[in-house]
Amino acid sequence: MEERSPKTIVEEIWPRVKKKHFYPEIPVPKIGNVTDADGQEEKGEGVGLEIKQKQMTINPDFLAEMKDRLAVEDTIEALLDHGVTHYTFCPWDFHTYMTLYSEAKKVMDDKDLAKQVTTYFIDVVSDTHCVKEKATKIPELHRHLKRGQIGETLASLYEKIWGIDLGSSSTAGRKGRHGDVVRRLARIPYLDRTRWPDSIRKFARSVKPLFIEEEENEKSAGGKSESNPLGDHDVENYSYDEIDQGLRDYAKESMALPEFREMVEDFSDELKEAGYGMEGGMGRGRGTPLDADILFYMKLAENYSLPLKKVPIEKKGSLHPHSHSPWEVGSPIQDVDIWTSFGRIMPGITQIWKKKEGKGRGKIEGTPECLIAVDSSGSMVNPRKNLSYAVLGAACAADAYLRNDSKVAVYNFSDAPMGGKDVLEYTHRREDIYRVLCKYFGGGTALDLDDLTPLIQGRKNLDLFIITDMKITNLEALIGFFGQIRNRITAVHIGENPYASRFERAVEKRGNINIYTVKRKEDIPHIVLGRIKEYFNEGFRSR
Amino acid sequence: MKPPRPQKTPPMVPPERFPLGPRNPFKEFEILRVSRKEIPLDRIVQSTEETMEHIRRGYEKLLEEEAKELVWMVQYNTIIKAYEVAERYVKEIDFTAEDIEDFCFALENTQKIPYLIPGPAGLYISALCNCVQEEEIVLKLSELKTEINLLGFRLAKGRRLVIQGDAGDFTGIGLEGGDLVVEGNAKNWTGAGMRNGKILIKKNIGLHTGEWMMGGEIYVGGRVRGLGNIVDGKVYERDKLVYPGKVRYPNQYY
Repeated sequence: MEERSPKTIVEEIWPRVKKKHFYPEIPVPKIGNVTDADGQEEKGEGVGLEIKQKQMTINPDFLAEMKDRLAVEDTIEALLDHGVTHYTFCPWDFHTYMTLYSEAKKVMDDKDLAKQVTTYFIDVVSDTHCVKEKATKIPELHRHLKRGQIGETLASLYEKIWGIDLGSSSTAGRKGRHGDVVRRLARIPYLDRTRWPDSIRKFARSVKPLFIEEEENEKSAGGKSESNPLGDHDVENYSYDEIDQGLRDYAKESMALPEFREMVEDFSDELKEAGYGMEGGMGRGRGTPLDADILFYMKLAENYSLPLKKVPIEKKGSLHPHSHSPWEVGSPIQDVDIWTSFGRIMPGITQIWKKKEGKGRGKIEGTPECLIAVDSSGSMVNPRKNLSYAVLGAACAADAYLRNDSKVAVYNFSDAPMGGKDVLEYTHRREDIYRVLCKYFGGGTALDLDDLTPLIQGRKNLDLFIITDMKITNLEALIGFFGQIRNRITAVHIGENPYASRFERAVEKRGNINIYTVKRKEDIPHIVLGRIKEYFNEGFRSR
Repeated sequence: MKPPRPQKTPPMVPPERFPLGPRNPFKEFEILRVSRKEIPLDRIVQSTEETMEHIRRGYEKLLEEEAKELVWMVQYNTIIKAYEVAERYVKEIDFTAEDIEDFCFALENTQKIPYLIPGPAGLYISALCNCVQEEEIVLKLSELKTEINLLGFRLAKGRRLVIQGDAGDFTGIGLEGGDLVVEGNAKNWTGAGMRNGKILIKKNIGLHTGEWMMGGEIYVGGRVRGLGNIVDGKVYERDKLVYPGKVRYPNQYY
């Protein structure tokens, strides 16, 4: 009988695997060369499966070497079951992966060891889920894999928790070298996702001596560490949007700048590879340094969608639905076209409207440009050391205007008359805006109104957003300045103090100024940009 | 006489056209009904949780009896009494050395155990260590944020307790011939009143070391901050005998 090629076998098996796992949205797996943990092309049996941006690739050399021990069909099915379960159960998304990694790092104190431990933990969870819930060849694959010290320990663990003989040293009559480790590992509730952070800490605590021993052996022998035959789990497994969403969720959940910075620094190479850290900034594209602090505020701000009241603007068209594009997790749900999506929210079926700006005649509602003034004096929190609500608030405001395709200018001030300031002209460049917002002077607090005038002059439609603790030396001059202009002003003060009360009293009768207090991060979403008391009356009367 | 009213016949509708409400769009998945398999992990996790629940309940009962106002003073008689109560509850439970480690971490989780009172908690853990079947107990506590006091209380001959991490005050007090190893630091009053056995502290140790100790040996890999009033026994600092030895003033920094 003619031997079928691995590609043919994959094509035959893939529909069955997809059905078994309830049709995950994953492209057809490929047969091709894979790279090992060091990025070198893998030769021989080492790594069987590689996943990059959801694309699974099976190593043909691995299949060839396994052929004598296990049928190629069974090896492929087991590898695919394993790979698919990473998307359908553990880690599920990039955010979960980062959470697991950060917990492992707390125990291992080393980024490479933490990455390895995370990979092994994810594998144990995925394979155990598969063995319990699906008909799978994973146990057969494990039975025939060549094993090092860690592999042997995990095989003993699988025997204990799956109740299947995998021919490990403990079943072969020899007392396993790491019986105590296996005993500890077997008590972990792998299938309870709510307890994964605790579980991975316990897992790491138990296997830490093994990994340290392995690392020492590797150093003394000058060789390579034991590679995981089922492939490493890393940032590369995810698509751009999944990484973006993961970073957003992680920033929101931890709300801690040092933790986020540590995470970004640990994954800086992979994130750069994925496109973070472009020239001069933090958008996508290859290039120079990755500023974790800026990325933190950027991703955190994306979690808050501040409502923005529009104003009648001449010769400015509003956005209208123009064409369709496929919906992805994270895309705005309000843009979904329910008619062409058959009423379903499902990647691959759902479509969203892509909006395009049209030319309007007369006065049409639009978003003006915005000048953001942010206080970075000594009384404010240094945004590069701790979470600064001022910078987060300003970042949310900038994000709201940029999303509406309006330009933003930034005036970062401390002791401005003495040079403690940074001014950024009107721009769409997100990373430049965040860079100026995150600058910290830490001196006295005074505005130089001469700096503001050129940024305001000649711009009829302009919003002002100022965020400060109001402990400004020339507060009276600022109040006087606000009294002269008719632009919409959103003033946000951090915390309560007599200066803030003075400012509130002075401008309370001004219809174009809205004041908000931020005491906690939860107050930030309550800010409505450019809301004017008389807007609805005056705005529509003038039309 | 009226002719009998003919019975209403049901409308002739093919069975498949009966109005059944909205059609289930996922009906085709029904063929994929998979029977849930039980694996040994389920049983292990369930029994671990049941044991933890018993251990937790024992600790809560100890607190109810010995620390009613959530205040507990370290005194000779309070230690003895609390330990006896702890031992009484512990003897009713079937557990392993791994359960003791899990309990140490559960103490830090306020959702699982609302009150961590270091004295009774340490005595309860000591009672667990003294009553467990295994003779060698390894507690990997290096990630624990709290240093637990009174670990190794009355550790009996033939038992070996290894603490991976730091220990708090009163470590190894009243040791009764056991072998106690602390792979980190220990605080004050270590080995106080110990009668026999060996304590090895791999890093540094605090004040009042060996206060009223009646016998046994204390080995310290780092520095001894201060010795207590020792009755009998030996204390070594970095392999050097410091008690009995040249003049060493008790409880003085040196």
